[in-house]
Amino acid sequence: MKLNIKKIFGLKTSKTNQNETDPARFKNVENLLNEIGGLSRFTLNFFRELVRQPFEHREMLKQSYNIGLSTLPLIGITAFIMGLVLTLQSRPVMAQFGAESWLPGMVSVSIVREIGPVITALICAGKIGSGIGAELGSMRVTEQIDAMEVSGTNPIKYLVVSRVIATTFMIPILVFYSDAVSFLGSYIAVNLNGFIAFPLFINQAFDSLHYYDLMPATIKTFFFGFAIGLISCYKGYFSENGTEGVGKAANSAVVISSLAIFIIDLIAVQLSEIFHVFTL
Amino acid sequence: MKEQTENIEIVTNTFEKKKVVIQIEHLKKSFNGKSILKDINLNVHKGENVVIFGKSGIGKSVLIKCIVGLIYPDSGLLKVFDQDVAEMNPHELNELRTRVGFIFQGNALYDSMTVRENLEFPLRRNKTIQDPAVIEKLIFESLENVGLVDAIDKMPSELSGGMKKRIGVARTLILKPEIILYDEPTTGLDTLTSREISSLIVEIQQKYKTSSIIISHDLNCAKITSNRMLILHDGVIRAEGTFDELRNSNDEWISSYFKID
Repeated sequence: MKLNIKKIFGLKTSKTNQNETDPARFKNVENLLNEIGGLSRFTLNFFRELVRQPFEHREMLKQSYNIGLSTLPLIGITAFIMGLVLTLQSRPVMAQFGAESWLPGMVSVSIVREIGPVITALICAGKIGSGIGAELGSMRVTEQIDAMEVSGTNPIKYLVVSRVIATTFMIPILVFYSDAVSFLGSYIAVNLNGFIAFPLFINQAFDSLHYYDLMPATIKTFFFGFAIGLISCYKGYFSENGTEGVGKAANSAVVISSLAIFIIDLIAVQLSEIFHVFTL
Repeated sequence: MKEQTENIEIVTNTFEKKKVVIQIEHLKKSFNGKSILKDINLNVHKGENVVIFGKSGIGKSVLIKCIVGLIYPDSGLLKVFDQDVAEMNPHELNELRTRVGFIFQGNALYDSMTVRENLEFPLRRNKTIQDPAVIEKLIFESLENVGLVDAIDKMPSELSGGMKKRIGVARTLILKPEIILYDEPTTGLDTLTSREISSLIVEIQQKYKTSSIIISHDLNCAKITSNRMLILHDGVIRAEGTFDELRNSNDEWISSYFKID
């Protein structure tokens, strides 16, 4: 399919008069730039409030507990199936090359480096991102955020900082948990068609992992969590147009967070490659 | 209806000799090029209840949101307790907000918190009181003022419209504000509950000597609560007087607001 760039950016096609003035001409570009500007200002506000006292410890802990606990079952089930399916799908190919014994190593590298963090972050974007977007969105349209402001409480600090910190630190923990459950799924899948003792499986899985597999994969999960929290809070905090706006806020929180996860992952892969080359 | 060309002032204001707590001069505010408030001039005196009356969507709520710094005016002077709101830093604005209570049209109770937590929330953040016994005493005192002590552990979703309104008032009262801004306090309530809320506004005024601006298009509420009444129309205050003065006015345009079909 041919992409019409001019149409996407609200520009006129060559058949129309170039001198003709149309106020809606640059509307899409303007909206995009407004969003980028708004998100940048919001990020600056976040960092300013992050370092300013008083700190909302209790709210941060409450959000961390809610975010972590509410996502645990979903992450667990998905991760278990992910480990199981990955192993079952890879087994026949590995068997063709007589490399079945490499299965734990192959699965562990795939899960720890890429599949675990990305799938977990995407699930969190859907579950946590939509929750934050809808919660803050409904607080905005029912004037609860305004009420907070007029009662002398900074809503950015109380609502945004606490949630962004919670997602930033909870996503890496959830990724570790997801990796562990995936290993369990993989171990069961390996044992469906053969036998391997659990200590040996774990030994083989960890033998294949190196420092440069673990570090970039762990660091990028903090960025995933930060992006999910910040984008979801931004969309919810500035939602408008009543209940319709709340739905849109939740929806765009998920879509933009998911997109951000892939972009961060792409950058992380490139940076880790460069880092790897320099450390060789 | 006759088109008004000049502002109509009928007035007798018994509060005029008292201190001005809110001073507004030539205030203007527009949204997306559309002028909402064109030239607002208003003084609210200590202990006075001022009702701002007018049709929906003409900027009544915008005006009181400007007073607490939720919306910034485009131009004009807005002083609360002799301090210019536009020139306040965030800290000063927070200080001001502890002295000016705001009751929202939709109550704006925090729906993830119980009534107790709703009342505790502004208290813990704005007052230096950390003693749980003192906090508990203030919460009970505030709930007693609105007659809803029994609702202390309920969630907002378990309360009726009138109860929510009362809890909203209690949450504002807990900080002992000197000015209270009511945004359509009786909207969506039945006649009896509306009257109870209106009486509560008067009780609060008498007990705590508060000054209030009450945004309303409910005639009964205006009658019960107002010491002075203003009619906002087309971005300016077109008429001013007591409720009875405006109701008995010979002006056709003013009397159109008091007609009952």
